[in-house]
Amino acid sequence: MATNSIKLLAPDIHRGLAELVAKRLGLKLTDCNLKRDSNGEVTFSIAESVRDQDIYIITQVGSGHVNDRVLELLIMINASKTASARRITVVIPNFPYARQDRKDKSRAPITAKLMADMLTTAGCNHVITMDLHASQIQGFFDVPVDNLYAEPSVVRYIKEHINHKDAIIISPDAGGAKRASLLSDRLNLNFALIHKERAQANEVSRMVLVGDVTDKICIIVDDMADTCGTLAKAADVLLKNHAKSVIAIVTHGILSGKAIENINNSKLDRVVCTNTVPFEQKMKLCPKLDVIDISSVLAESIRRLHNGESISYLFKNNPL
Amino acid sequence: MNNIIIFAGSSHPTLVEKICENLSIKPSQVKLGKFSNGETSIDIGESVREKDVYVIQSGCGHVNDNFMELLILINACKTSSANRVTAVMPYFCYSRQPDIPYTAKGAPIISKPKHSAVKESGNTTEIGSVLTTHKPVSQRSRKSIDVAIENTLSSLSLDRSTPRILKSEDNIQRSSSNSRIPVIPERDGTSSSEAAGALFNTNNSGYKLWVAQAGTLIANLLTTAGADHVITMDLHDPQFQGFFSIGVDNLYCKPLIQAYIQHRIPEYKDAVIVSPDSGGAKRSSKVADALGLPFALIHKERRSQILKGPPDATLASGGGVPLSPKPLISNLSGSELKHSMSASKFVQTTMLVGDVRNKVCILLDDLVDTSYTITRAARLLKDQGATKVYAVVTHGVFSGDALNRVAQSAIDKIAVTNTVPQDETIAFLGKNRVDVIDVSRVFGEAIRRIHNGESISMLFEYVT
Repeated sequence: MATNSIKLLAPDIHRGLAELVAKRLGLKLTDCNLKRDSNGEVTFSIAESVRDQDIYIITQVGSGHVNDRVLELLIMINASKTASARRITVVIPNFPYARQDRKDKSRAPITAKLMADMLTTAGCNHVITMDLHASQIQGFFDVPVDNLYAEPSVVRYIKEHINHKDAIIISPDAGGAKRASLLSDRLNLNFALIHKERAQANEVSRMVLVGDVTDKICIIVDDMADTCGTLAKAADVLLKNHAKSVIAIVTHGILSGKAIENINNSKLDRVVCTNTVPFEQKMKLCPKLDVIDISSVLAESIRRLHNGESISYLFKNNPL
Repeated sequence: MNNIIIFAGSSHPTLVEKICENLSIKPSQVKLGKFSNGETSIDIGESVREKDVYVIQSGCGHVNDNFMELLILINACKTSSANRVTAVMPYFCYSRQPDIPYTAKGAPIISKPKHSAVKESGNTTEIGSVLTTHKPVSQRSRKSIDVAIENTLSSLSLDRSTPRILKSEDNIQRSSSNSRIPVIPERDGTSSSEAAGALFNTNNSGYKLWVAQAGTLIANLLTTAGADHVITMDLHDPQFQGFFSIGVDNLYCKPLIQAYIQHRIPEYKDAVIVSPDSGGAKRSSKVADALGLPFALIHKERRSQILKGPPDATLASGGGVPLSPKPLISNLSGSELKHSMSASKFVQTTMLVGDVRNKVCILLDDLVDTSYTITRAARLLKDQGATKVYAVVTHGVFSGDALNRVAQSAIDKIAVTNTVPQDETIAFLGKNRVDVIDVSRVFGEAIRRIHNGESISMLFEYVT
């Protein structure tokens, strides 16, 4: 049992999730102030003492000015560290640069590793994240990383909102097969896979369906939806194969570029994202979007981490 | 030159071209861009194995993007087995440390006489009950913050607790501050004076604002990314070098500035070198000594009365705050407005040390950002009878509305180096009012010498 108390810090942009988590924990966000100077540099100040406290910095990185968010986060961590915080935990549900996790061609940067190093350099002692694109990224860190899963929340959403007796879980690519099959096991559903051939990043060329989807509600499951080109094409393929309807559930709805257009023009019934990424203003533009709130999972993990309890319970169960 | 590779960051390609011209090599192939979600993507087009790599990126424009790009580039070179990676940052971003918060915005609210407390709390709950973390600084950031507000708004509508956020929108319209000092967060529920009092230690107990000092972090990030060496110019704080555990070569612009003054200012022999603030006194006096010119200094006096009025003068050289305490006043209402107006006269004690009457003045500074310091200094010099005011500046960042202020200021001619792109400055102020001092030769020579393992200290004194 920790003798110090929790301080929750959040940047000013994308504060929504942090507010929800704070509310769940019955705490207030610590007063702090991020200021962007006219030359683009960031100044940060904390208005309360954090000496010997357990700091949690809750940040969301959406699309757009990713680098700004990253540097703001680093400066916040560093400020907490130099202010003598006992432990600094970064809660970053959507880990930025997670897709650049390998040297896929010569001289390509492994930016995910760089991000991990930078977080550690800034002074972070613990990382809480969710559905990492590749769980191996945990190995990039020298500090403990808790990779939470959105799966329990997704299972709950499916049970509550979708007539899952007639449903089938679809993985939109071979890489996500494991995630999809786990989910289908949890729900006792069948499972199909779409195999795609990718020509270039953010572009998909040809798709082949493996499995039978006739007269089924197809639930496409993925960890990330960026431009949604894949999802839209997958929906086409599924409907061509006589599916009844198609719903997509993704953890990180980055929804950048033409995503909204793609979804609106697609044959998808619904696109459900968790609120790891702020996309609320996009919901107004796109009636097909729906949200799963994962703030309870984050709040519970913060509580457990602070009290030194096991977090693995959250991997299988959804806190209320 | 063998085994040397020079990569241009996206911040300042023309400077890189010039540096490469001086070295008679070509910049190496690199594709810089962004993925659709805003993450930086780079693609290095040449082998860097066992090469001596120089990455040139200035800390201008969209600072954070450019800095991340630099880090990713350095890291990519390092993981691709480069022998040595040198970060060349003509202008080093985040080199200016924010001030200690003792005169932070909102200070007047605490030190206001007790009798006005009732009125004040009435006003502040009406206007000031906002989340001050939403205070934007510039037009540029305002847009992004508006989006953010929208995000928070809609996200909060999930749990139907919007009212206090809604208020922050009108705050956005009004607040704009130029100081680097953080603003006191005002809480809803409690009156802001109480909150401010708690924050600013009015009872001589409690806590003062903790301000992030990004310097060490930036240094450590560069080292973490894999930089083996850093080349920069005219660091704002020379102590910054101590934040690094790798070699830092801080090149001086002084020889170039001296040469400029000697060759391009016809009346320089009768001129006075002026430092616009006490922080730059040492730098300016060195130039004055070298040229055998008299020296004057502008000193901003800050008495304890400042605490009673809005702190509209800051210590940050190159930074600074408008003469009129607009941002603050806009948050106050009638009675307070008068109060702060009357108090503000205490702050206006900028004074000139030295004689400039009927002389040509040359203002020297290392950095012009918001341009408040330098334009105000120029006005003061003209008021004191200076015939002509030149400004010679190393880093012309000119953020926000700075160019406009310079255009309307008493500065007759401004000379800046091209550590930061100056195309916009020339376009705005016209060719006759701006001279650009080219630093590419110094950087080229420094790269050549470092690559060949020669001493670069000669560059500190002489023009190449």
